[in-house]
Amino acid sequence: MNTSVLSSLGMVLLNVALALLLSPLVEGILRKLKAAIHSRQGPPIWQPYLDLLKLLGKEDLRTSADPFYRAAPALGLASVLLLATLVPMGSAPPLGFAGDIVVLIYVAAMSAVILILVAYGSGSPYAFVGGSREMMVLLTVEPVVAVTLLVGAMKAGTLATGQILAWHAGNGPTISMILAGIALFLAVQAQAGKLPFDIPEADQEIMGGPLVEQSGPRLALLRWTLWAKQLVFAFLLVEIFVPWPRTGWVLPDLLLALVKVMVVLVLVALVDVVNPRLRVEQAMGYYFRVAISSLAALAFAVIGM
Amino acid sequence: MENPTATKPSMLPVVEMATRLMEKNLGSGLWDAQVREPDVLWFRIDRQMLRTATVVLLKELKARFLISAGTDLRAQEKGYGILHLFSLDREGVFLALDCLVPEWEERIDSITPLIPGADWSERECRDAVGVEARGHPDPRRLILPDDWPEGAFPLRRDFPYNERPPAAEGVRPAPKEHPEGTTVIPIGPFFPSLEEPSNWRIFLEGETVKGCDYRGFYNHRGIEKLGDSVLTWDRIPYVAERICGICGFIHSTCYCQAAEKAAGLQPPRRAEFIRTLMLELERIHSHLLWLGIAGHIVGFDTVLMQTWRIREPVMWLSEEISGNRKTYGMNAVGGVRRDIRPEQMPKIQDVVRKVEEEVLALKKAIVGDTTLLARTRGVGILTEQWAKEICVVGPPARASGVPIDARLDHPYAAYDAVPPTLCTQEEGDTWARVLVRVDEVVDATRIIRECLDQMPAGPVMSVMEGEFPDGRVGVSVVEAPRGEAIHFVMTGGLNRPYRWRVRAPTYPNLQAMPAMIQDQQLADVPIILGSLDPCFSCTERMEAVDRRTGARRVYSWEELETMARRAAEERGAPS
Repeated sequence: MNTSVLSSLGMVLLNVALALLLSPLVEGILRKLKAAIHSRQGPPIWQPYLDLLKLLGKEDLRTSADPFYRAAPALGLASVLLLATLVPMGSAPPLGFAGDIVVLIYVAAMSAVILILVAYGSGSPYAFVGGSREMMVLLTVEPVVAVTLLVGAMKAGTLATGQILAWHAGNGPTISMILAGIALFLAVQAQAGKLPFDIPEADQEIMGGPLVEQSGPRLALLRWTLWAKQLVFAFLLVEIFVPWPRTGWVLPDLLLALVKVMVVLVLVALVDVVNPRLRVEQAMGYYFRVAISSLAALAFAVIGM
Repeated sequence: MENPTATKPSMLPVVEMATRLMEKNLGSGLWDAQVREPDVLWFRIDRQMLRTATVVLLKELKARFLISAGTDLRAQEKGYGILHLFSLDREGVFLALDCLVPEWEERIDSITPLIPGADWSERECRDAVGVEARGHPDPRRLILPDDWPEGAFPLRRDFPYNERPPAAEGVRPAPKEHPEGTTVIPIGPFFPSLEEPSNWRIFLEGETVKGCDYRGFYNHRGIEKLGDSVLTWDRIPYVAERICGICGFIHSTCYCQAAEKAAGLQPPRRAEFIRTLMLELERIHSHLLWLGIAGHIVGFDTVLMQTWRIREPVMWLSEEISGNRKTYGMNAVGGVRRDIRPEQMPKIQDVVRKVEEEVLALKKAIVGDTTLLARTRGVGILTEQWAKEICVVGPPARASGVPIDARLDHPYAAYDAVPPTLCTQEEGDTWARVLVRVDEVVDATRIIRECLDQMPAGPVMSVMEGEFPDGRVGVSVVEAPRGEAIHFVMTGGLNRPYRWRVRAPTYPNLQAMPAMIQDQQLADVPIILGSLDPCFSCTERMEAVDRRTGARRVYSWEELETMARRAAEERGAPS
């Protein structure tokens, strides 16, 4: 009993540490990649850590005295860390329980909702526009995430993320899971806030949108949230939809997953670098079509394929 | 050498026809009609007949409005000269409507109801010279700051160039009322995707634009005032070059040509070829710069980085030819100050060939990018009709199917020997403007190669005998990358222009913005504005504002010089 509590506490810490400490490094690698395609040298790989340190050391300025507004960036990061404990990283999710996938779907949307609240609370018209765009993107991307995870649940016949993973690793690919995996991969592009879907931030149009009034430690936490979120979503994608090969040992499985995560994020970064930004209604149209195809995956799952 | 001030025989039929038409319609209202140095058909008319005359020019002659210039002529004629310049593009003739407004009246009929594109010209005239346009639809201040006192007109002759009137108290900006049910999103005065200050208030319904209001002219440097009060004719090219940080050579060429026309001076043929070559080099680097910025505005930074990489060798080449990446200091009235050496020619060939290759590859890459097409096709449409009414010039006009190009319509420098290809598109959207500019870069590489092939030997400078003549005019147009730049010079003794009027291409183009963003999405406003390739500081070179907000410390020339020397010594440079 005692050892099992300790070991799951260890796994929780491992997942949180991965999301927290590894995400800036991943971001740094992606920046370097982007620079190479730009014919630039680019910043050092550890630059995101330096950015965070610098911002965390700055004065904390707020445009609103509201206590929720004050706590929002920390809550945003916390929500992504909570998500990390519900996502498998090399092993079953440490905080997994029967039905945890429903919670996962809710928690996955939390950081975006918090960002929207930050936007509306900051009192800037640019943030307001950014917040409403974030909302529109969320409303079209979130159903895709939910439906693709439901496909997994339906195939495995369980609502526990760890069991879906075990089922998929054991039974091999099916049409419905491949389709759902592709749909979730397309959703990661928007979840990571990458082009052509960085519409809520859109520096050149609305000056960072929800982030326009954020600076110092608040900006650091919000950036960190976004970086951690892209890493956790990539884990979710590769662990549930590409779980092979599986050794059963935590460390080798984790390393394998990390390699797959990097492949996914490099693809995401490549799409980012060869695309301009879409308008929000174009992005919604795009994800509407993705949602339709994820429903097709669900239909295949229903007929057992 | 042929007399450069002589009228070309091909002009005579149109001159005769235009004069007859004006006589018929104006009767005794036409005081005088003559051809002036050498391609301006100059009508002096009764100010009461201004609108009638304008209608004749627009409807019967299909003339295109260029610019207005107000001149303080109180000393000579007890009034203000109001000049409206037009162009007959097919015939290569400029038309001038010259009215005298008596000192005591200070108002004249507005022509903006007839020509929407005259809006800013007339407001500028009111601000700077103090002649009001009667019946103007939007008589708000345009170029003067809000706290500039009433009744101080910086371009009047009795207003010293260094005068600094006390700020008016209790004044406020006069923004346009936004329509009911709309919210206002400000873009500017400082905004990340605009490199220069300009303030757009966008009226939004949801994310749809329902109107806008513009306040700009934050960058006045009083350059026109300097030209007619402090500088002499031969110094102005170096100031003119500093009107713009991108197309400086265009402005110095344009001024030099206007001054040469006024003085009857013909530059040597080799100098004209060198000017052509430098103008086209400027077009290449300006269009590539623009393409990069346009990419950046829609979030496509790969385009930004790659176009600027392609552009950089052109800057190095300019440095090798002129000594500077930008602001070459090569133009002088009468020719150019630096020759192109034979050993530089192969280098120019190489750079230009490489640019052509890479731009064609880039074009292939962006034409296939469906996301880029989704962001630019059908976005910010400027119809041909609007382009004509607002008198839009350059790539925005050509992308809307208006076939105007100063290099073809009023050939200058060596463009008669190396004519450009007219690059037009019909759609009038942002994508069409991208295509026009990319095609022009490729065409510019061809022009440069032909220039090198055909460049004659000989001197590069004609020297002016005696003083800058009195009582002459010169109108010159140059097709800048952004469109047609116009310089108008009226001489009046003292070895300097009596009036030097500059119109940068952004001046008319920016006036098309409200029509282009109407009912578009907010997300598209920056790229629509960007697709005009706006250059605010060129547009805003007028009148004498010298007030510093904040520190209010004004350095004298000597102080600045001493400071510069001290800084140089500290760095160990030989002074």
